[in-house]
Amino acid sequence: MEKKKEELLTLAIESSCDETSAAVLRGGREILANIISTQIPIHQKFGGVVPEIASRKHIVNIMPVIDECLRTAGVELKDIDQVAVTYGPGLVGALLVGVSAAKSLAFSLGKPLIGVNHLEGHIFANFLAAPDLEPPFMALVVSGGHTALVDVQGYNRFRMMGQTRDDAAGEAFDKIARVMGLPYPGGPRIDALAKEGDPMAIDFPQALTEKGNYEFSFSGLKSAVLNYINSEKMKGHELNKADIAASFQRSVIEVLVGKAFQAVKEAGRDTLVLAGGVAANSGLEARLREEAEKRGVRFLYPSKILCTDNAAMIGCRGYYQALDGGYSDLYLNAVPGLSLTDK
Amino acid sequence: MSILAIDTATQVSSVAVADEGRLLAELTMQGKLTHSETLLPHIEQVLKMAAVAKEDLTGIAISNGPGSFTGLRIGLAAAKAMSYVLNIPLVGVSTLQALAYQLPVPGVRLMCLLDAQKGNAYVESYRWENSSLQVVEPVKVAKISEIVAECANISEPVILLGDAVQKKIVGKMELPANVSTAMPHIVMPRAACTAMLGQAKLLAGEKDNVMDLEPVYIRRSEAEVLWEKRHPEEASVPPRP
Repeated sequence: MEKKKEELLTLAIESSCDETSAAVLRGGREILANIISTQIPIHQKFGGVVPEIASRKHIVNIMPVIDECLRTAGVELKDIDQVAVTYGPGLVGALLVGVSAAKSLAFSLGKPLIGVNHLEGHIFANFLAAPDLEPPFMALVVSGGHTALVDVQGYNRFRMMGQTRDDAAGEAFDKIARVMGLPYPGGPRIDALAKEGDPMAIDFPQALTEKGNYEFSFSGLKSAVLNYINSEKMKGHELNKADIAASFQRSVIEVLVGKAFQAVKEAGRDTLVLAGGVAANSGLEARLREEAEKRGVRFLYPSKILCTDNAAMIGCRGYYQALDGGYSDLYLNAVPGLSLTDK
Repeated sequence: MSILAIDTATQVSSVAVADEGRLLAELTMQGKLTHSETLLPHIEQVLKMAAVAKEDLTGIAISNGPGSFTGLRIGLAAAKAMSYVLNIPLVGVSTLQALAYQLPVPGVRLMCLLDAQKGNAYVESYRWENSSLQVVEPVKVAKISEIVAECANISEPVILLGDAVQKKIVGKMELPANVSTAMPHIVMPRAACTAMLGQAKLLAGEKDNVMDLEPVYIRRSEAEVLWEKRHPEEASVPPRP
């Protein structure tokens, strides 16, 4: 007897960076379990994620995380209908652990495999956060390695409005945090410091702000902040870290906010969603909300747990991808440089 | 009992199915595709070749290192997931021991070398005594050129095995008179050997924990080694996972 699609159970796996995660979803939106084992404390002393150490932790964590996930969901292996897994972008060694385990699970269970783009997963986290959300809408993706505006026209129809030409916003956050001596991960530290500083204190540049340009560039801003810090140090001035953080963050946020609402207008959308790890940035979220209210646009962003790298969002993306026949075969490989493209 | 064996420790991809004391099928190749792409299709094929349904497998043997870190993890992740779903025991087999198992020749020192990068190898030496394979010198990391030169001091014939032997470095060296290299078809690891050694372990009631089994890396990550050099005061608490 064929199950109804709303009853399908998807087991999802995510291991693209420093989080090992497994989730079970019923249908596309009901999370039965979403287990995340983070390695942040392990990488902290190195000032960033060490790929080999991340891979070593994934191979130790993967089975306990899957096992705990199934027990939490109260689901037996034989009831799983399909297996979804992140195959990119990310750290190749880390991705390979999840991909190899997922392929073996799918094969051993005799169930289909779905290779999922991690960035699409971040966008789909919004479907889990807002049960009534339906395409079309505009998505602003801001994660460690990617910044992009995607017009989500259908569950399997995306139009790229523009993406980053060089450094992603998240990379700039991490680099500047490191130079200011803030511990890893730097993004949340800058966000917290920015609240105590004056965002107008220093005038940092904003790139590609001309109308109709949806590409992003943060390398110039990054250099400007680093140069400012160096020159202040040379002059023997004490760094006002809070002001630097606030002014830097303002530059990033104004660019993101400006382009996002331009894109919403151009595409004629009434909803904007925020996606990716940097979605947890409270300054960005507050500005987008403020601007959305002013313009009468619905603004959504996932809860903190759904913003981090997690398997539930991979399961959600996998579910909708599979409805359109987006399965993978057992030759699926990790693609560390996978990007977002038109679909 | 039918067991599946997997070896992805080197550039060779090898999978085998065996039942008690008999090799049913083996698929061993050095191709252009990566382990990540081919391992599962190869497992599917070798089971078909052996006419064994995956549900009828009674155990899994994994060649668990040393070797390529990434290769080992691809094999182990697949082996663990399969063992978990099929609810059958998983057992790790030394990649070095499986290499020595290819040449059951008494009176010979079997020197097994697996590539450890930058001219180094993980090396372990073996000897057959009364039909049983014995470790003479346990595993260590050493310069390949030094390992080979030191073989001259061994008072019996020496045969070199392993992927390090395939590398140019050994081919360019003048080997001491008592040293030769294994033939190309047995110089690399093969899952048939992993299967036989794994079967013996399983029959003896040995098995590994599918939840926390790790590859035998021998070496720590470079980042950890470097960090300890810079923080000698904290190095006494090893962060080894």
